Amino acid sequence: MRAWLMPLVLGFLLAVAGYVTAMMQFPQVLMGFATSRISKAAGYNTLFASPMATDKARAIVRPSPDLAYSSCPFDLVNGPVLVDVEPVPAPYWSLSVFDARTDVAFVRNNLDANNQPIRIAIAQDGQPVPDGMQAVRVSGKTGIALLRILVQDRAQFAAIDAARKKSNCKPLS
Amino acid sequence: MQPWIRYVICGVAGLALGAGAAVQRVRTGAFGASTAIGPWTTGKDFGTAGASAYTRAVVSLRGILALPAHEARYYNAAVDSAGQPLDGKCRYRVTGKAIPAKWWSLTLYDHPGYLVANQANIFSVASAHVPNPASWTVLVAPAEQAGLWLPTGRIDRFELTLRTYLPDDGGAGNLTRDQLPSIVKEGC
Repeated sequence: MRAWLMPLVLGFLLAVAGYVTAMMQFPQVLMGFATSRISKAAGYNTLFASPMATDKARAIVRPSPDLAYSSCPFDLVNGPVLVDVEPVPAPYWSLSVFDARTDVAFVRNNLDANNQPIRIAIAQDGQPVPDGMQAVRVSGKTGIALLRILVQDRAQFAAIDAARKKSNCKPLS
Repeated sequence: MQPWIRYVICGVAGLALGAGAAVQRVRTGAFGASTAIGPWTTGKDFGTAGASAYTRAVVSLRGILALPAHEARYYNAAVDSAGQPLDGKCRYRVTGKAIPAKWWSLTLYDHPGYLVANQANIFSVASAHVPNPASWTVLVAPAEQAGLWLPTGRIDRFELTLRTYLPDDGGAGNLTRDQLPSIVKEGC
């Protein structure tokens, strides 16, 4: 029995290590899946205007059926990505940027912005951004920029949909 | 048996057990389970660097891309006010008062977190559609109800998520049990 003592100690230590590693990696793995799934609609570094969520929506868990989402899965491997949001005729809209660990690197809503356009450059540390652009620094190369727009009445959706398509997401170079 | 074989057996088993325990704990975790208020659970550190590894993992599974507290708060219920699991074959009366936020919505999901198919294509009730925001009732039931109705689609287990956007206190505090809606089963 003594012959198993040290192997069991090793097993216990590796169980702790396995638990901590799995817990730490969970968000990055799931964020990677989410970014990949969303990019299938229109690719990376471009803003895709999703239809209103229904029971058929499977790209993201817990979508809000009250919001119109436009999403830009970004990849900074070739440099910063610019996001330009034009105001939409809705009582609430916001732009948020999520990094590869699911942390929110940036969020601003229409009230914060006084219903004016929002223009940001998503970049990693060390990547230069154009003068006058607000830099949003993220950890990791990938993530998602998300535009949420409150649709109080689905009869308003066509007007909101047309307005949100004036926003864009594109690589700097 | 060679000693190194014992080390390999215990090492591999330990790693598998540890990783498996983490996955199982996250899979059984509820969205925003850090604080329970009556039937509702919530958390204040979604999307922030201050979130624990466990919170971060559960949110990534149950509600990825959740906003930070100053922008939105999320309250989730998988049980009624008596502590019984929410059953899609039963009828519930959800009764609420004024919610201190710019706007709110109540959405019904299945356990994995997807909207539930129903013939009426109704998935949520938002504050803009509540006639009296100071005193409101939503009936959650499989069959159509008079007034504000949220269909369950007759699924076995469902969850309710209350989103409060731009909370009056900047998301610093939780809604109290008195401010959160009650969920009372009326029959099955």
